[in-house]
Amino acid sequence: MVNENIATIVRARRLVRKTAKFSSESVYSFFGSIGLAAQRTGETLLWILKGKISLKDTVSQMVEMGWRSFPIIFLTSFFTGMVLALQMGSSTANLFNEPVYVGMIVGFSLVLELGPVLTAVVVAGRIGAAITAEIGTMKVTEQLDALYTLGTNPIKYLAVPRFVACILMLPLLTAMANIIGIYGGLIVTVTTWDVPSGVYWNDILSFMTAGTFFHGFIKSFFFAFIIVSVACHKGFSTEGGAEGVGKATTSSVMISLVMILVSDYFLSAVLVALGVK
Amino acid sequence: MIKVQDLSKQFGSKRVLRNVNLEVNDGETVVIIGASGTGKSIMLKNIVGLIKPTSGAIYVDGVDITKCSSNDLHESQKKMGYVFQEAALFDSLTIEENVAFGLRTLTNLGEDEIINRVAHCLEMVGLENVEDLKPSELSGGMKKRAGIARAIAYQPKYILYDEPTTGLDPIMTDVISDLIISLRKHLKITSIAVTHDMKSAYKIADRIMMLYKGEVIFNGTPEETRKTDNAVVRQFVEGSSRGPIETDRTFKEMEKI
Repeated sequence: MVNENIATIVRARRLVRKTAKFSSESVYSFFGSIGLAAQRTGETLLWILKGKISLKDTVSQMVEMGWRSFPIIFLTSFFTGMVLALQMGSSTANLFNEPVYVGMIVGFSLVLELGPVLTAVVVAGRIGAAITAEIGTMKVTEQLDALYTLGTNPIKYLAVPRFVACILMLPLLTAMANIIGIYGGLIVTVTTWDVPSGVYWNDILSFMTAGTFFHGFIKSFFFAFIIVSVACHKGFSTEGGAEGVGKATTSSVMISLVMILVSDYFLSAVLVALGVK
Repeated sequence: MIKVQDLSKQFGSKRVLRNVNLEVNDGETVVIIGASGTGKSIMLKNIVGLIKPTSGAIYVDGVDITKCSSNDLHESQKKMGYVFQEAALFDSLTIEENVAFGLRTLTNLGEDEIINRVAHCLEMVGLENVEDLKPSELSGGMKKRAGIARAIAYQPKYILYDEPTTGLDPIMTDVISDLIISLRKHLKITSIAVTHDMKSAYKIADRIMMLYKGEVIFNGTPEETRKTDNAVVRQFVEGSSRGPIETDRTFKEMEKI
């Protein structure tokens, strides 16, 4: 009995020591990773400020990120606009016996929140994952080392074009998503709720200002920054073969999604405080 | 000349290289042998500037690349070609673009001259009609040769080979060995090769150096290597599972079982 108790105490002490060691290692690793991400992003921005941007590579990335993302952005925003109009029409019909302010609610919801956030989520899943997987695969197959030996800085060659392309294309995709979503809402409002299109547009244009548009547009720049910084950092930090690439890609998408949703609140708070709404 | 002086490299608490010294004269081919995990590839990566050593110095034509400015390091990199173990060709580029990569980044050659140089280098390594193919469309041996073509394209003074024959069939191994000899003969290239393949090592080396537990335990000509009494070297070159290297591994425990 005494021996059993001693064994339990020894096991418990080992577990506490192990847990403490694991926690301190995790904290070091967490802050180390943030520092490294900041350093890489800083280096990328420095290359951009120096004007060391390959036009050919940047345009090719813009086509990949913008043009090839357009079909999925079209589908998601169009149906989001449609479902918003359907739900808002139904709710207001229940409350006021007729669907009112559908255009205004669809417009505000899309332009302020759903347009920028949904577009960023889709781009994080499609482009963020692709960036991490591509750079990560290059890392584990020594292609990044090969770039160094051929006199090329991997951050300048790989991160800079992707960074510039993402920062330019995400706001553009967001603006398109807003317009497409509003048209999706229009179709449902006119066909399902028999509201004339003039009333729908009047709802939107009477209540929305340029500030409303800029509120979402400004947020999309920050979301692009988050997606591409996380994706490149995770790619450059990949280790451990195919399994490592998989883990880095999953981690990249998850971190981007969480950061987009968390930062959305704080960005919105700041923009509202500044009167951009 | 490449001179490595008291080179040490440590990862965390693990010391991979301990006070390694090496001199490679111009036009010479030095082969580094040693069991897996003894720091051979780490040493090559230190020499090319991919890894910073913990202590020691690496002189490339008199310039210490461990302490020089980034411009001087860039100049040293221009003098060196690196052939990676798995070729490390860029997946997204064609073979022609891969071979031309160093020419575009490290030289001021015109596009016509680059195309001619690429064709010449591919011909030298025995690759034809592969210019427009992607690396994934090539066999292992072809990838290795394309990797060598990329490394020699900008005519470096030194080439570092990281296990150039690993994973190849015996005939292709001999082809690569002949290619390394031919490059030294025709282009006067100074080479350092890391390999496990003793047949290839004897064929291409002017000198053979053995790394064991991060230290240089042998440095001599191929003939001296064949005749050495050093038990560790003998065991390695003969490929025997019994000997001093064995005792450092888990064989003793296996015998107990």
